[in-house]
Amino acid sequence: MTIERREKRQGAALVAPALLWTLVFFAVPFAGMAIMSLAHLEGREIVQGFDLGNYLRIFTDPSFRRGIFVSLEITLTVTVISVLLAWPLAWIIATRVPERWRRMALLIAVLPFWTSYVVRSYSWALVLGEKGVVNNALIGLGLLSEPIQIMATRAATVTGFVHFFVMLLTLTIYSNLIQLSPNYARAAMDLGASRWQVIRLVILPLTLPGVMTGAFLTFVLCIGDYITPQILGGNNELSLPQLIMMQLGRRGDYPMASALSVVLMAIVTLAYAASARWLKMERL
Amino acid sequence: MRILSWAYLIALFTFILLPVGVLVVFSFQDGRLPVPPFKGATLEWYASVLADRALMEALLNSMIVALISAAVSLTLGFLAASGLARVVLPGSVLMRGVLIAPMTVSYLIVALGLLQMFGKIGVRPSLLATGIGHVVINLPLCFAIIYASIGEHQKNALKAARDLGAREWQVLWLVAAPMLLPSLAAAYFLAFTFSWDEFIIAFLLTRFDVTLPVEIWSMLRSGLSPETNAVGSLVFLVSIVIVVALELLLFRKGAK
Amino acid sequence: MFKQSYAVVALAVGFAPALQAEDLNALIWCDHADAELLRPFEEAHGVRVNVKEYEGTAAGLTLLEQSRPGDWDVMVIDAVDVGRAVERGLLAPLPEGTAPLDSYFPEVQLKDHVTVDGTVYAAVEKFGYNTIAYNKAAVDPADMGSLDALWSGKYDGRIAIYDYYLPVLGLVGLQAGVDTSDLDAAALEGLRTPLMSLKSASKQVSDVVGSQTALATGEVDILIGGGEWLTAVLNAENPDLDWTIPEEGGLLWAQSLAIVEGTEKPELAAEFVKYVLSPEGQARLATSSCYWGMPANKAAGDVLSDEQKAVLRWDDQAEYLKRAQLYPVPDGDTDAAMQDLWTDMLQN
Repeated sequence: MTIERREKRQGAALVAPALLWTLVFFAVPFAGMAIMSLAHLEGREIVQGFDLGNYLRIFTDPSFRRGIFVSLEITLTVTVISVLLAWPLAWIIATRVPERWRRMALLIAVLPFWTSYVVRSYSWALVLGEKGVVNNALIGLGLLSEPIQIMATRAATVTGFVHFFVMLLTLTIYSNLIQLSPNYARAAMDLGASRWQVIRLVILPLTLPGVMTGAFLTFVLCIGDYITPQILGGNNELSLPQLIMMQLGRRGDYPMASALSVVLMAIVTLAYAASARWLKMERL
Repeated sequence: MRILSWAYLIALFTFILLPVGVLVVFSFQDGRLPVPPFKGATLEWYASVLADRALMEALLNSMIVALISAAVSLTLGFLAASGLARVVLPGSVLMRGVLIAPMTVSYLIVALGLLQMFGKIGVRPSLLATGIGHVVINLPLCFAIIYASIGEHQKNALKAARDLGAREWQVLWLVAAPMLLPSLAAAYFLAFTFSWDEFIIAFLLTRFDVTLPVEIWSMLRSGLSPETNAVGSLVFLVSIVIVVALELLLFRKGAK
Repeated sequence: MFKQSYAVVALAVGFAPALQAEDLNALIWCDHADAELLRPFEEAHGVRVNVKEYEGTAAGLTLLEQSRPGDWDVMVIDAVDVGRAVERGLLAPLPEGTAPLDSYFPEVQLKDHVTVDGTVYAAVEKFGYNTIAYNKAAVDPADMGSLDALWSGKYDGRIAIYDYYLPVLGLVGLQAGVDTSDLDAAALEGLRTPLMSLKSASKQVSDVVGSQTALATGEVDILIGGGEWLTAVLNAENPDLDWTIPEEGGLLWAQSLAIVEGTEKPELAAEFVKYVLSPEGQARLATSSCYWGMPANKAAGDVLSDEQKAVLRWDDQAEYLKRAQLYPVPDGDTDAAMQDLWTDMLQN
């Protein structure tokens, strides 16, 4: 046996447990779910078959179809706003904050990360309510005469999401910025670029991979989240995860829940394909 | 530009800290309703949280699941990363893709898949089932972090150790692990955090023994009470203490 | 400490349920999760009651069907749904004499619903009303005498809908002049328009806590589907929160307790049912931390304090019971149609 073959065998042996775990507890269950999505409910009985009825219904029934759009709209809004808010924050921390305060500033920027996720969503309900902090402050400042409704609207859901993802994105963009050599900026300046031009033409493009990776993670985590829309959205519209949980929690309709999950998975895969050229997932 | 920067920083920090601040303030609310107006301070809700049997058990469960599932994720991720970094195997790219895949789907999908599979083969929902799910989502993370930290320098060191006759486990345990310690620590810490705070997998895959996020969710569904705020604040304060301690102990030392 | 080290071991080997001494596994609604209710029973019998909440009957039945025999010992179920569970072979007969029917409020024995082919399968334990809850400081109480007020436009944007399809569809039906017993697929289509206009008049559709928060903060002033079970726990904080049964009537909800078929601890399960139906158990259940409700067993009146009885409106029950109608009892198809309609309402 050559050394190379022994090497390969040992390498394979090291990868095998992780690979096996992923196959058994991720690939197989997903395949099972795909099969389940082709079944349908008769009374309370799950009848397995090759039945595209669930999918047909998802794309024709207005309530389900709207769920897809609601999810996409919320997720895209959240992703765009979060990136727009997080990039300057990360840039300010990385370049404007004095070096010895940098870690501290970064820590503050992600501090609420360590509250429980469920509680974090719920605390926005206290902030955004009619008598909540935001309305009180706006009225106190004379900017409003009547409280505005934020709670139980899509704006509340988006706010709750943006809060979380600004933290996440600040972190990923910051780590990207800090790795950039200051020489790029200096060279551009020497060549006569203004400060804005440096940011727009040099730094921004260089952080694009980091931004895209963060944005993709935001997209995935946001579109699959149940808690935030459920707590903050007031049930005035239903996102895909809410529809899925409704099939499970109220109707016990596993085939439909599975079909909706497959659709969710397809959307995420499309998003991945669309952004794949910028992504380096294994180099997070 | 300077003033603009600072104004932006302050505005965003306010946004980020606002809900946590409000949460903590109303955890001291004297009265049943954790909603404005603030009526005065009491520690009553903290006392009732600490006396809540179900909540304390959930806390312990979360701790156990997070500690063990993060350890399993770390081990599997570490082994796979060192394997793939060692030799170019046929299908390396595919294998990396498969290992990373769970990170690119929603937790809800992982949870629903496992729920149905476990149901079919007769495994009851339990903390074990939840832990398995958490390894599925954290393994890619651990793998990615460790794999990224194995550069040419590290590869050469491992190869040298092997050439000098070290056994495989010795190479991993005595050379690779110490050398990669910072990224192993980071991976474990992240995996622990994600498992600790994960809701949907734990919600669908547990029955009586639940984790803290699930218990908090059922508190939230079963009646309005500042106890919810108190438990959230407690988790927050404890986590902050741990994070600051880690920061002071590990990272400060490493930086100098 | 002992239990905790057990838990570690149990997790490691994956036999968590097998290792604990004696357990009673209960599939419940949140009012049964109250430690004040469970602890006396646990101490008296040296056992541990494990509880798991479930949401709708359909999901609860699915959960039972996917479990193995012996996984569950008792369950809480809507009294009107007992027949559906029995039909699927999920409930065991209740041993004779378990329920102290002699001291029950006669209207809530619901013999027709808990008995199938002459065998009793469940006993009603708690009841109350889904009607209109409101803030009397912000709403003219006279308006609340009729459900029409919610459709009048006067309270647009100040209404919340309780997120459970059965009672709210029942109420929408009452407003449209349909008795709950006549609520079938055909009648349902007629409710679509009024339901949608109710939705556009409302601010949110929310669960218990969302509704309580909204009422307590003045976010909304009226909750359709609410009742004493929602306002009672808030009474001490805000006595202005009130509820009423309008002239069209209200809905009577009645939850019952049953032993699950296949239990390996039938005696313990029966003891648990007896405990919950005893005057002490009934009083604790009636004032459970999650929500309050009238005990089915009148004897609980001797245990409850006068203040508690006042909040529960003990003395008005005879009159309320007369005016309330039972929950709709949909068959499988109607149930699915109701849920579809409900989903459409949420999504529009």
